[in-house]
Amino acid sequence: MGYVNRRNRTIAGVFLLPTAAVLFLTTIYPMLYALYLSFRNYDLAKPFIPRIFVGLANFQEVLTSGPFLHSMLITFKLMGVTLFFQFVIGVGLALLVTQRLPGMAAIRTLLLIPMMISPVIVGLVWLFIYFPELGYFNYFIGLIGINPIPWITSTQWALTAIAIADIWQWTPFVMMGTAAALQSLSPEPYEAARIDGNSNIDVFLHVTLPQLKPVLISLLFLRAIDAFKIYDIIFVLTKGGPGDATETIALYIYRQSFTFWRMGVGAAASFVSLIIISVLITLFFKSMQKSAAAR
Amino acid sequence: MASVSLTNVVKAFGAFKVVHGVDLDIADGEFVVLLGPSGCGKTTTLRMVAGLEDVNGGEIRIAGEVINDRAPKDRKIAMVFQNYALYPHMTVRQNMEFALKPQRLSKAEVDAKIAGVAAMLGLDVLLHRKPAQLSGGQRQRVAMGRAMVRTPEVFLFDEPLSNLDAKLRTQVRMEIAKLHKQLGTTVIYVTHDQVEAMTLADKIVIMKDGHIEQIGSPEEVFARPKNLFVATFIGSPSMNLFRMTAERGDTGTVLSSPAFSLLLPVELGAKLKPGQAVTLGVRPSDVRLAQAGDADAIEARVEVVEYLGVEALVDLRIGTQEFIAQIPASERPALDQAVKVVFNPAGLHLFDSESGQAL
Ligand SMILES: Nc1ncnc2c1ncn2[C@@H]1O[C@H](COP(=O)(O)OP(=O)(O)OP(=O)(O)O)[C@@H](O)[C@H]1O
Ligand SMILES: [Mg+2]
Repeated sequence: MGYVNRRNRTIAGVFLLPTAAVLFLTTIYPMLYALYLSFRNYDLAKPFIPRIFVGLANFQEVLTSGPFLHSMLITFKLMGVTLFFQFVIGVGLALLVTQRLPGMAAIRTLLLIPMMISPVIVGLVWLFIYFPELGYFNYFIGLIGINPIPWITSTQWALTAIAIADIWQWTPFVMMGTAAALQSLSPEPYEAARIDGNSNIDVFLHVTLPQLKPVLISLLFLRAIDAFKIYDIIFVLTKGGPGDATETIALYIYRQSFTFWRMGVGAAASFVSLIIISVLITLFFKSMQKSAAAR
Repeated sequence: MASVSLTNVVKAFGAFKVVHGVDLDIADGEFVVLLGPSGCGKTTTLRMVAGLEDVNGGEIRIAGEVINDRAPKDRKIAMVFQNYALYPHMTVRQNMEFALKPQRLSKAEVDAKIAGVAAMLGLDVLLHRKPAQLSGGQRQRVAMGRAMVRTPEVFLFDEPLSNLDAKLRTQVRMEIAKLHKQLGTTVIYVTHDQVEAMTLADKIVIMKDGHIEQIGSPEEVFARPKNLFVATFIGSPSMNLFRMTAERGDTGTVLSSPAFSLLLPVELGAKLKPGQAVTLGVRPSDVRLAQAGDADAIEARVEVVEYLGVEALVDLRIGTQEFIAQIPASERPALDQAVKVVFNPAGLHLFDSESGQAL
């Protein structure tokens, strides 16, 4: 940037004002207000009671009581399982759809569809599929003689059901990112490997994967951050139940704030999860810098 | 080491034919250069030998065996690519190790091979570096090293020097010549740089539009081009061409044109019939300024003089006919002057004007 005089700076400030105002009203103010609430006892069911200052009591409850820690466990369990399958299947599909075979472009577009659907709709679609008596899933496994599975009504299966729906929706994202990266790799090293006689597995492990690493790390963090705040699909399918079997952090916050009306506790939990996400994002940028430096 | 032979090899991409029946025999240990203008099918031919492209017709043999349907890895070849094709995330050593991996050698054997090649190419100090940390010339040598550690029977090079600057190109060119002398491996080398071809080749294959125009030693293709294409493609500056008609004169066969006429040496004149349309080719280096006693000198006008140090290029004109003379710089004439020139009788090339074939 060159020299900017004072008058230009004022004009620049005027132009920035609308954006700054919107940002303030929709992001910064609510965040500060939540921070304020997290130190207060605010029961929305009794709005007339003064919001007294309670120090760190809300944070203490969040961090020491069972439900929040349980929701954290559920969140990370779900994240681990869904990311594992999304990456294994997504990278596999990417390798497949980047082959030069007839019809691959069409197949690729079809495979992207789940990603384009809003998560609430995905939840509804899977609700039909999982429906205990009338669902497609149980109908089809019934055809081959398997007893109906209580997908979303049993504590044993509900998390799996949600994981399947989430994997279905987000595998295409991993596939698309990986396929784009694969296509940007130069073809000559592969021809060199063909001439030298390196096996396909060796080529994948030692030529493809290392070159994909930066992209895979980016995709992993994007998915992790997204998985951390998973909400819509679960809300539609199980609302966190049965019991608290599928209650992730986002659902815990929702339940505290809008079922029990304990706004202070909800706000404190939001802040804790904000800190966790910030740590994730910081790690992400650190690893990006590291892999950029390693080039 | 092995011989390579192509018999009527054809390649088409869909309906688009790019190699039209190429015949080529390469002896064991020979250095053969495929030379031709851009798009003539050199790379495609090389890639068919490598097995990276299928062959649509004809046969390719290595060491006498037909290898059309053999996988690239079973052809005992190694290839050096134009942009080197190094594995970007591996060090120089790892690049070579990976190329050797399919051979399942012991660690000691691998180390010995890499050490040998590294010493030969001066790569020792670079072994722990990655390609991004190397200069263009160093990458080029690593690419050769990676091909050499595998001790193939045939080396394939596709324009290996085209990404290097002029000075480095000369240097690496000489290194390649030296390595070939040392290793004695058969080489097929693709380039569109005639200097590379002339200096490296035992045998030059000149291609155009998917056909072979001439196969011969550097001396043969320069001194006895088979047709007008080869005549003008080889040599820099290009051979001068004059469209002439043969006539029977008093003392022998005379070529004449509106610009000038020229009495031919007896053995050349014998090849022509009176009235035949011929194209006379004379390399600029075979045009010199006339001296006092020269008979048959041709008068021309000096249009441009390019001074090159030792030599000078003089653009001359007779009527509408333009041509170039390459003469010692000390003899160079002034601009716009009329000068007399003579053609070296041993440097006259005759081509049939219709077919373009040498007579
Ligand atoms: N994969 C392909 N599909 C279709 N046409 C191709 C393909 N590869 C090459 N061609 C065509 O075949 C012809 C010969 O190409 P080739 O690469 O062999 O030329 P070349 O002699 O190596 O030229 P250059 O000196 O520019 O490298 C060109 O007309 C090119 O457009
Ligand atoms: Mg080429």
